[in-house]
Amino acid sequence: MNLFVQQVVTGLSIGGIYALLAVGYALIYSIFKFTNFAFGAILMCAAYGAYFVTHTLKMTSLVSGLLGAVVIGVIVSLATELLAYRSLRRLKASRLFLMISAMGVNIFVQNLMTIMMSANLRSLDIKMPFNVIRFGKIRIGSLDIFSLVISLIVLGVLWIFIEKTKHGIAIRASAHDTDTAGLMGINVNKISFIVFAISGLTAAISGTFMGMKYAVYPTLGAISSKAFISSVIGGLGSLPGAVLGGFILGVLETMISGYISSSFRDLFSFSVMIAVLVFLPNGILGSGINDKL
Amino acid sequence: MSRFLEVESLNVYYGGIHALQDVSLYIDEGEIVSVIGANGAGKSTLLRTIAGDKEIKSGNITFRGERLPKTSYETVSMGISLVPEGRRIFPNLTVYENLIVSTYTRAHSKKSIDEDLDEVLALFPRLKERLKQSGGTLSGGEQQMLAVGRALMAHPKLLCMDEPSLGLAPIIIDELFEKIKQLNEERDQTILIVEQNAFLALEIASRAYILKTGSVTREGLGAELLGDPSIQHEYLGVHDDTSYEDED
Repeated sequence: MNLFVQQVVTGLSIGGIYALLAVGYALIYSIFKFTNFAFGAILMCAAYGAYFVTHTLKMTSLVSGLLGAVVIGVIVSLATELLAYRSLRRLKASRLFLMISAMGVNIFVQNLMTIMMSANLRSLDIKMPFNVIRFGKIRIGSLDIFSLVISLIVLGVLWIFIEKTKHGIAIRASAHDTDTAGLMGINVNKISFIVFAISGLTAAISGTFMGMKYAVYPTLGAISSKAFISSVIGGLGSLPGAVLGGFILGVLETMISGYISSSFRDLFSFSVMIAVLVFLPNGILGSGINDKL
Repeated sequence: MSRFLEVESLNVYYGGIHALQDVSLYIDEGEIVSVIGANGAGKSTLLRTIAGDKEIKSGNITFRGERLPKTSYETVSMGISLVPEGRRIFPNLTVYENLIVSTYTRAHSKKSIDEDLDEVLALFPRLKERLKQSGGTLSGGEQQMLAVGRALMAHPKLLCMDEPSLGLAPIIIDELFEKIKQLNEERDQTILIVEQNAFLALEIASRAYILKTGSVTREGLGAELLGDPSIQHEYLGVHDDTSYEDED
């Protein structure tokens, strides 16, 4: 029983990170209907941002690490939008080309970082205010607590932004139909700027926590496949679906790691994704999108 | 002096087809102008081009003496709003959000936006009861009212309507055209209507243009065109006996 509760708590904390990632990913998908494969590169660059601030600048608090990551994450995310996607959209290119361009960005950035930073694993030394909290026999690490709480706060703020502000309304209108949104006076390029900034922010926060849990290295971004899986489980393009999918995936993965073996974890995650695609193609909360690029 | 809206020898291609060929027309402030024509005559392309959504090959569109910007959202801030064909309301937004969405770039104060909202809701009281409902749950007629309201929320100087009667029951169409007339008479709203339903469009219009395979073939006062036998024959389904047999 204790093991079960322990796994659920750890799973929720991983799930929070996945949920954040999935929201950043789903936000872009919902508007431009393409999979931003550069998302992993953004996450990885942001984690290096956290490393730079905590290691080189020696500001080792969690806040400074997150801030460094967010600055880099947002800059890289906006740069990919401006350099790799906007001109393609202006040409009204098929979203398939956007996706290929995104893959190119991913490979380019990954290799650039390998050359610049080497492929070494770097650990993020961030000072936490405490190490573990005990509830009876259950021990929760401070990283798990902070990642869950911060993920939930960011998700909550995002939810308010998207549901309650005029920018949020414009984002949702664009998500349904960018052409009509334009005809109603919405500058879709401005919306894309906001959306890519948000996406960079979520990638940065989850990238920092991933870096803390494991290490920072040039292929850290591979973890963003979990955002895709979460999104598929919850329903592609649906933001609540992305959050739900993220938490489900996080808990399921930790259960597998805890009760079977952690080497089965990724195998299991992708099997779940395939099963969902076969038996529940729209995910749990998705609306009918026919092809998934 | 320049016209309110002036379209001069406009050429537009749409998917390789020469959709508009040397189209010229004008609208004066306070008018209702209709453009009628068969399916595929280029009516929607004309409206979309005015709304900044289509690329102009050659020719000019000026609005109150200024050339129109190249994008649709800038055109909206200049004062031209479109009620698109098929309404295109946002089903994932509430009725209130659908109305407020077109104020996104409006520089006006919250107060003047609220005044416009009150005015739109006074014009379409049924929307008021449904403000919190999602746009997708409305009936076709209500969606059309919402689409008109949404365009009005951008506070347009020129309101463009693309096939407003499409897919609506006759009784709803009458109600809608009554509202359009009311808008023009009470708010002095300048309106450009593109319609397949020629009778409705000519009846409401001060002036009208007839578009045939991408060119303007006739123009005149609405009432004058409505009474013209050749137009009655071609667009209004009025046939005398001989021509009836000819068509068979």
